[in-house]
Amino acid sequence: MLRLLAGRARAQWQLLASLLAVVTVGATLLGVCALLVTRTAGQALEVAAARAAPEDVEVTAYTVTMSGRDARSVAGDTRELLTSTLAPFRSTTAARASSVMRSLGPGEVGYLSGVEDLPERASLTAGRWPRAPGEAVVLEPTARLLGLTPDDRVRLGPEKARDPAPGMDVTVVGVVRPRPGTGWDRDPLAGAGYDLAYRDGGALQPSRAFGPFLLDLGDLLGSGSAISRLEITARPDLSAPARRDLATVTEAVLGADRRLARILGDRVQIERIASRLPSELLAAREQQQVVNGAVLAIAVLGVVLTATALALAGRLTAGVRADETALLSAMGTGRGRLALNAIAEAGVLALLAAALAIPGSAVLHAGLSQVPPLAGAGLATAPGVTGGQVVAVVLGAFALAVLLVVLAVRPAPATGERGRRELLARSGADLLLVALAAGGWWQLRAQPDGSDPRVDAVRVLAPALLLTAGAAVALRLVPPALAAAERLARRANGLSLPLAVAEAARRPQATAAGLLITLACAAGTFGVAFDATWTRSQRDQADLSVGTDLALTLTAAPVAGQGAAVSAAVGGTVRPATDRGVSVGQWLGGSGDAPRLVATDLTGAGELLRGRGVTGDGLAPAERAGGIGVPAGAGFVVTGKAAEALTVTPRLLLEDATGLRTACTGTPVPLDGRAHRLPGCAPTDGLRLVAVSLPVTGDAISPDRTDRTEVAVTLTVPGTGTGTWTATSVEPNAEQLGDPAVTATGNGLRMTATVGLGGPPDAARELVATAFADPGPVPVAVSQRFAGQLDARPGDRFDVAVGTTPLTIQIAGVVPAIPSAPGAAAILADLDTLSRALVVRGDLEFPVDAWWAGRPGHADAAERAAGLHLGPVTTRDGEIERLSSGPVPAGLPAVLRLLVPAAALLLLAGIVLHVTSDLRIRALEVARLRGLGMTRREVRRTLLGQHAVVLLPMFVVGAAVGAIGTRLVAPLLVRSDTGAAPVPAVVPLWPWAAEAALLALLLAVCTLAVTVVVVVQSRRADAAHLRVTS
Amino acid sequence: MILRVDRVNRSFGAVHALRDVSFEVAAGTMVALVGRSGSGKTTLLNVIGGLDRPDSGTVVVDGTEVTALDEDGLSLLRREKVSYVFQTFGLIPVLSAAENVGAPLRLARTPAAERERRVALLLDLVGLAEHARQRPGELSGGQQQRVAIARALAASPRLLIADEPTGQLDAETGRSVMALLRGVVESEGVTALVSTHDPVMMALADRVIRIGDGRIDDQPC
Repeated sequence: MLRLLAGRARAQWQLLASLLAVVTVGATLLGVCALLVTRTAGQALEVAAARAAPEDVEVTAYTVTMSGRDARSVAGDTRELLTSTLAPFRSTTAARASSVMRSLGPGEVGYLSGVEDLPERASLTAGRWPRAPGEAVVLEPTARLLGLTPDDRVRLGPEKARDPAPGMDVTVVGVVRPRPGTGWDRDPLAGAGYDLAYRDGGALQPSRAFGPFLLDLGDLLGSGSAISRLEITARPDLSAPARRDLATVTEAVLGADRRLARILGDRVQIERIASRLPSELLAAREQQQVVNGAVLAIAVLGVVLTATALALAGRLTAGVRADETALLSAMGTGRGRLALNAIAEAGVLALLAAALAIPGSAVLHAGLSQVPPLAGAGLATAPGVTGGQVVAVVLGAFALAVLLVVLAVRPAPATGERGRRELLARSGADLLLVALAAGGWWQLRAQPDGSDPRVDAVRVLAPALLLTAGAAVALRLVPPALAAAERLARRANGLSLPLAVAEAARRPQATAAGLLITLACAAGTFGVAFDATWTRSQRDQADLSVGTDLALTLTAAPVAGQGAAVSAAVGGTVRPATDRGVSVGQWLGGSGDAPRLVATDLTGAGELLRGRGVTGDGLAPAERAGGIGVPAGAGFVVTGKAAEALTVTPRLLLEDATGLRTACTGTPVPLDGRAHRLPGCAPTDGLRLVAVSLPVTGDAISPDRTDRTEVAVTLTVPGTGTGTWTATSVEPNAEQLGDPAVTATGNGLRMTATVGLGGPPDAARELVATAFADPGPVPVAVSQRFAGQLDARPGDRFDVAVGTTPLTIQIAGVVPAIPSAPGAAAILADLDTLSRALVVRGDLEFPVDAWWAGRPGHADAAERAAGLHLGPVTTRDGEIERLSSGPVPAGLPAVLRLLVPAAALLLLAGIVLHVTSDLRIRALEVARLRGLGMTRREVRRTLLGQHAVVLLPMFVVGAAVGAIGTRLVAPLLVRSDTGAAPVPAVVPLWPWAAEAALLALLLAVCTLAVTVVVVVQSRRADAAHLRVTS
Repeated sequence: MILRVDRVNRSFGAVHALRDVSFEVAAGTMVALVGRSGSGKTTLLNVIGGLDRPDSGTVVVDGTEVTALDEDGLSLLRREKVSYVFQTFGLIPVLSAAENVGAPLRLARTPAAERERRVALLLDLVGLAEHARQRPGELSGGQQQRVAIARALAASPRLLIADEPTGQLDAETGRSVMALLRGVVESEGVTALVSTHDPVMMALADRVIRIGDGRIDDQPC
């Protein structure tokens, strides 16, 4: 047997080399895919973790209310737990604590705080940092309001607690200013330094609170003061994380809450561990699974393609060896022996292919990682071999070798019988493929919209099944087309064209090669189109997810003038935006899935909003609110008069150039006829006064009274005004403030009303003067999900609660999705209109949660926005990168870009094999054509024409199958990073230019290959072939 | 003389296939070329038909010096003056009998109507008018060789070269093919040069030329 195999290898080395090449290509493709789903996937998770924002990986332990004697041990135990939880990663910790309130004097409270890395979080403006026990620094407003300067001593009285610690003295040694974005929002007074109406929930009356008095943390914990809140944040060093360690830490953090409770016991009232680390890592892992599923689907497609190429090569080999096999059979060699020969030969081929494919796939994978998208995602790597890769390559090579054995040992039926049997077998195989493909497609269509990142067999197999079935069915169209072409060609007078077309139409092996050509072409075009479709979908998802080009989510309420600062930093169109949960009537949505309200300036929606199908047309008011322009530092003066002892607490609503509205609340003003100045309401230029609220209170109001009294308030504004003003009496019990009126005077507003002095105690008695009219029901667009869940149609009205203020919305249209709320039951409204509706209901709080910027004016807009320390920044480009070219998803475009050349290579190999074999078989025939008097040129023309007539329809059919496959399958295969159906829905994309270029390239390369083979073979097919008959 | 072969030599490496071969053939005769396998019959026929070139010597067919022609000239020669009948019939498998017969006429750009008339005539001549639409695979060996003879006659050649035309046929079929060849030589006025082992063929020939070891042994008339 060995001698036979060795002899055959010597005689047929070219044939065996081509078989080896095909098996090697398939095994290499499998090896690369295996590396992508193992080595690259693991590396991607590590890179994603290493690149994660610090706030996404830190772990914070919050503990609330502990006695002074336990404070130090609680801090130590908590810190140790955090450190051990994040092991084996090294971590750094930072702690901050605040004491319970202490008495500072009648109606005044103050508190102590300790911040471990205070110089990082505040800048010193006077004095020095605390160095000794009892030394403290205070914030600038605290110092100003309490009149403190360095070296002043302050007496903090007993704690406001059940078992109060005695009073203590601190020495103020410095004054500091908080640095933005350093956690001051978690200070009891949010880093403001004071709150003149502080309520801690325990006292009935508000008190004036000052603080913090910032001590050294150790000093605070050892001071014996009861701690109201202690927060320790641990930040792991993930610069070089290992996948296994990340998994360990994820599990540890998930269980840390329980461990902390066990460790701290009853030393604290409340304890909690908060971290986005597990969810971030789990989300990355889920996204990885989704990507792996798609990579495997491409791998299966590659294997099917390789198997088809191998089937063609195997058939050609069997044809070439038919005489030899017949001879061996005639000499008494049994089928078992023939099978053994085939197994041995295929086994050797598989081993050789595996030996080539293991280093080949390692090198190819490394090469792939050096170019985008893997290189850009930080996944460049050196060649390396993994266990999974070896297993995939070896199994793949041997599986392909089995196909060779099957083709080699299958009995050759008698002529006539073969035709019928093959026809039946092919028809059966076609039907089976079509049935499987239809089932797969149905399953794909039926897959749920929700998240499911698991690798699904249907999603893995469907593309290969559908394309193979499509190619097989489409091939059925080729013979009738060729037959029609032959009828036409027969009319020609010469021999070359009719003979070429007849050869193409009547030779059965042309159809056999057709499956490979069609499938390879379909796979190549599908690969290009799927890549474009996937990339487009990721972009669409990113667009809709962010909703705009740059979103800066605020961690604290904005202040007047912030819009100008954001505009200066970011450039482009900057507008405030709202993105928050609301209740719609009694409907609160599902768990963690509340209806969302998204609102921003929709007058220039095209400039600001992003997302396919997103529109805000018809939702914005016809014109901007007028109001009174106010210069920076302008002093507002309130003068009020009433016959009774009444007071108003004026609230002014000022709008800046970006549309941000901020409320300025003045101190209570008695309506005594005297002028009262409202300080600090116009800190910056470019503000316009758009609304004034005057809630009337006073001792004269009593349930026992039934009479009314007139009030008149004049607000003097040092600015110029436009438009008309409207006065409204706020619900509930709007009748308690009657005849509301407002008149714009030359230098301000004069507001009058009659106030009921009796009536319900909860009556608002609030006059609101606005530079706009009541907009009525707020026109909104709602998402399809919202419309579906509430059976809502355009024109329907619903009540929603924004904060605590009820509003009526009217549906103007239903859109697929709302920007920044993809897939949610969401409402899109114009923020100005929404704010107007809230204001006329007495709610001057501008519902703003973020800044949105369209077409930022600076390339480093995200960095500039982050530098404002107002909150996390999300950009559309960043999200696009995360979804399409970040470390986790980068494997998919990489393997798609591998599929196309692999398909082209297999296509080329198949064509060369087919043409070479065809010409070899027909060498004598070609020589006899010369004998008939055909010139070499005519022979070449005939052969080229024949192959062109076969190949061109296959290319067209393959491209058509690829296009149909893209349309049918690609939208169902693309999933979001969580494995859910993408929002917005996927639009199949057929990149004409890229597809045309691919087809042109394939045609050019194949034409070149066929031409070379034809020229060489036609030159050889001459008298030498005729001599054998001598 | 329709054919003149003068001192032709052809060797393949160390093997001398033809050694100083010379002979002449008169027009309208049927000549049998006889020799054992490997004697050089096919090489001689290929050289005469311009499918192969001699190392030396000249071949003149109907006044045209074959050995002086370039590739295109040789193709034209085979298209107009010389035609072949091969041992293994040499039909184009994907074409029907009629299409095979019509192939030389297509090469000569014969108008369709005339081509069809001539194909029908020739198929009738070889007795296969009923099998015009059948492909070679559907015909017996004898029928295929008849089609090959009809095809060889299609372009009205001056010289018909038949290389072992009965080699793949049983004796009876071979005899009928030989008879057909004899008949067409007479009816079409063509000159036939036929290599054969068949004594019947030799008997039907006007002249037998024996070849052995690349040399012409005998030239009996």
